[in-house]
Amino acid sequence: MSNDGRRKFLKGIGLGSLVMSVGSYGVVANKPTTDKKSKHYAMIFDQNKCVGCTDCEIACAKVNKVPKGQFRMIIEDKTDPKKPRERRMVRVSCQQCVEAPCVQVCPSKACHRDNLTNIVTMNADDCIGCLYCIVACPYNVRFVNEETHAAENCNFCENTNLKEGKDPACIEACKYEAIVFGDLNDEKSKINRILKIKDSLRMKPELGTKPSLRYIPAVRLGV
Amino acid sequence: MDGAMNFTIGFSEGVVWGWPIAAYLLLAGISGGAMIISIVTRHFKEEVENSPLTKAGSLIGFVTIAFGMVFLVGDLHKPLYFWKILINYNFHSVMSIGVIAISVYIPLTAVMFFYAFEKEILKYFGFLSFVAKLLRPLRPYVEFITLWFAIIICAYTGFLISVLVRFPLLNTALLPALFVVSGLSAGNAASGIIATKFFKEDMHSFDMKVLHRIEWPIMIAEILLVFMLAVSLVVGNEYQKHAFLAFTSNEFGLLFWGGVVGLSFLIPIIFNLLLGKFTSHSRAVYYFTALSVIAGVFCLRMFILYAGQTFGI
Repeated sequence: MSNDGRRKFLKGIGLGSLVMSVGSYGVVANKPTTDKKSKHYAMIFDQNKCVGCTDCEIACAKVNKVPKGQFRMIIEDKTDPKKPRERRMVRVSCQQCVEAPCVQVCPSKACHRDNLTNIVTMNADDCIGCLYCIVACPYNVRFVNEETHAAENCNFCENTNLKEGKDPACIEACKYEAIVFGDLNDEKSKINRILKIKDSLRMKPELGTKPSLRYIPAVRLGV
Repeated sequence: MDGAMNFTIGFSEGVVWGWPIAAYLLLAGISGGAMIISIVTRHFKEEVENSPLTKAGSLIGFVTIAFGMVFLVGDLHKPLYFWKILINYNFHSVMSIGVIAISVYIPLTAVMFFYAFEKEILKYFGFLSFVAKLLRPLRPYVEFITLWFAIIICAYTGFLISVLVRFPLLNTALLPALFVVSGLSAGNAASGIIATKFFKEDMHSFDMKVLHRIEWPIMIAEILLVFMLAVSLVVGNEYQKHAFLAFTSNEFGLLFWGGVVGLSFLIPIIFNLLLGKFTSHSRAVYYFTALSVIAGVFCLRMFILYAGQTFGI
């Protein structure tokens, strides 16, 4: 082959690899709509108030018809064994990320952000069960429902309680007001008023997922 | 891990993507690798007739990717809903991009198969001669596009799992490169076996010499990439250091040191370089080392998937 042809060939390879590498990682996705009226539902878990009664777990499973032995949310006991009197509970559930990896990776758009509520939720019929969302979730809070064989997450009871105008099941069930639910885009909402005066944190914020769940850590007891 | 507050329970336990995905990753790698090697060799040789290597490459390219689809679809929890992926494209998902690439690549490999076996096919299916006449002038273009898609197929399997931020061993920029290179290595071995075994290629022919020649730079690149991957973890942050345990743990140590290092690096080096001409020229030894390389590449995919998903953040 002539030198010219070879040069062309190599040029082609170089150019092509450039196009490929740029194209493959160009992922900017699933940003919620930002107009003023849109919702940004969020939840606060207050570790100072949770006693670990698990009423929320039971209510959640019942309202959302989660199969036995599976959970959309649970309360994990993270009490330090050395300090058994300082009880520390943590809510484990979908963090409702603004930059949700599950929405980004779902190949069939089954895992999506709802148009009206901006909540990350599932369309079980479109789910093919590839489990990509489950391995993509940095919090490991997604699972395959044994009955529907579709992936599932806590969607703030979007298609059950919320649709009926009620608060999510866990909020209804909690006797201690340890969880607060509301719209961050509503200046006057209770959740915003609490966030203004209390220090809260988010799980693994360094991953850039912008989770919507806020946690108020327990303060040290006594002085 | 020492943050003010965290949780450690997860809703999905253990390895979520298991061996069928590893098998698919291997088959996609072999398909892409064999395709790349046969097209490039054919191009630089300015080949007119279909050589055994071209036949082997096209056959492997088509059969392995088709077989890989069986694993890919079979591993879904709702395999019968596979068509949903074809109508609801999400262009932010590497899987969707991969599905598009595959749906272009598989027909291309089928056409490449047709080119390579044109004579044989027309002997039995004479009525296809008009297809052959139509396709023949397009061959250089089809080869060029197939070459690109073969690289994309190998690379996308790497991107597919490198976007998973939860797993430091997977979430690295090296993975796509490693998968292209190890795909070439397995594709090379598979092409050599099929060409000599079924298409009567001479063990010392020009094409076989080419395969043997490129074996070493590919292996060196593979060793380098694996080494870089390990180093990037050991010098990384707390999570990455934790994930480095994959290389030293009892659970995955055997898979890595025995499977990846032993089968795909040490055995070819020992039998082809250290034991001298007698063994390196024997047909049985060639098959043995080539199969060992393919098994080693499978171990690499298994190691990456299983160890990767075990050591999460």
